[in-house]
Amino acid sequence: MIQIVTGDARPIFKQIVDGIRMQVITGKLPVGSKLPSVRGLSMQLTVNTNTVAKAYTELLSHGLVESRKGLGLFVIKPKQILNEQEREDRLETAVDTLINETIGLDFNNDEIMHMVQSKLVQLYDKKTK
Amino acid sequence: MSNYIIETKDLWMQFGSKVALKNLNLCIEAGGIHSIVGSNGAGKSTLFKLLLGVNTPSHGETYILGQNSQKLRPQDRGYIGFVNEEHTLPEWMQVTTLITMEKSFYPKWNDSIYKQVIGNFNVENNQKINQLSRGERAGVNLASALAKRPKVLILDEPTLGLDVVAKQAFLESLLFTEKNEDCTIIYCSHQMDEIERVTDQLIIMEQGELVSASTPESFCEKIHYWVVDYLDKVPESHLIPGFLQQRNIEGEIHYMVIDQDSSLKELFIKLGAQSAFHSEVSLHQAVNGFLSRNHHKPNAEEKTETSHV
Repeated sequence: MIQIVTGDARPIFKQIVDGIRMQVITGKLPVGSKLPSVRGLSMQLTVNTNTVAKAYTELLSHGLVESRKGLGLFVIKPKQILNEQEREDRLETAVDTLINETIGLDFNNDEIMHMVQSKLVQLYDKKTK
Repeated sequence: MSNYIIETKDLWMQFGSKVALKNLNLCIEAGGIHSIVGSNGAGKSTLFKLLLGVNTPSHGETYILGQNSQKLRPQDRGYIGFVNEEHTLPEWMQVTTLITMEKSFYPKWNDSIYKQVIGNFNVENNQKINQLSRGERAGVNLASALAKRPKVLILDEPTLGLDVVAKQAFLESLLFTEKNEDCTIIYCSHQMDEIERVTDQLIIMEQGELVSASTPESFCEKIHYWVVDYLDKVPESHLIPGFLQQRNIEGEIHYMVIDQDSSLKELFIKLGAQSAFHSEVSLHQAVNGFLSRNHHKPNAEEKTETSHV
């Protein structure tokens, strides 16, 4: 179940996008499964339907889901919709954030790399299970 | 005449020497949920009274549903709903009597909507209004307001004093009850968690003036939180562009600034910082920080939390 919290630095629609992404990555929402309807998810989370619609639009633009007429939104294998440069930029932004967050905490490079590696391993483990 | 669902033109409202609204030019388009936030005394309730034609402006005009508020006809009023925190209802009446009376005044009354909403609250038809709890009264008010199928529904702090269960029932009813295609909701509240859940547009009022109108996300994006560690002296706040407020927390200065980007870090370093990190803020922090920007902040040791939203 996706959880959203008010009072978070991330707007609610972003929390929904991230929540669904996580469910897809960890296999809880496998490829081919249907997302709840906009209204259904809004009622589940008690948020404005436009907020859920915004999240779903973002998922569509990221190529994570596709719309099937009359049926709803379905999880698909992500299409390559970003070009090489855009992918690089996204990766760089994410890494900048990681470094920004951890730099004040006195870790050495190895400790940070170790954490990244082990998280990636965990993720692939979940995916293949 | 007006093309907006709600519009004010050069609106001023004065009570004696106190100016409650100053040159307010507000345009709200039809559809969606628009929240108005602001400190107490920002003028929100005054604005509603003018929109509904209860009071007359000192200067300027207000329009609702395209009609001048001072010239609202009965048929216009039939499309306007209003719910406030007092949930004023005739104390001595049974719920069922009240509803029968309402139905007779509003031919468009949709009984299945009334039943759908009231079903979220624990109200018995034969109860007298004065036997209802605050949450139950709010339920009756909301159910009745929605059953009338308004084109515009104004809610002025409707969940004030409601317990957790009643609040949830209220929000669900508001969000998920079938409404007119073009029903516009104006939601006024101090509860940022509610605002965050329901609103499409965030309108901020301050001391009678309109200071911001945007989506909640765009508002939040404008405001950044910086944690700065100075080697020596803390610089004067007027040297910081976009300064909203600062707090001294365990030797570090926590700033909130507006409309600045990450290059502000260089300025902090120039001003003697050995480190400066910024992060995004929640809607609550953004609004709070923005609204408290003109208030004097006491020194580190005597610092007390101020909350104005």
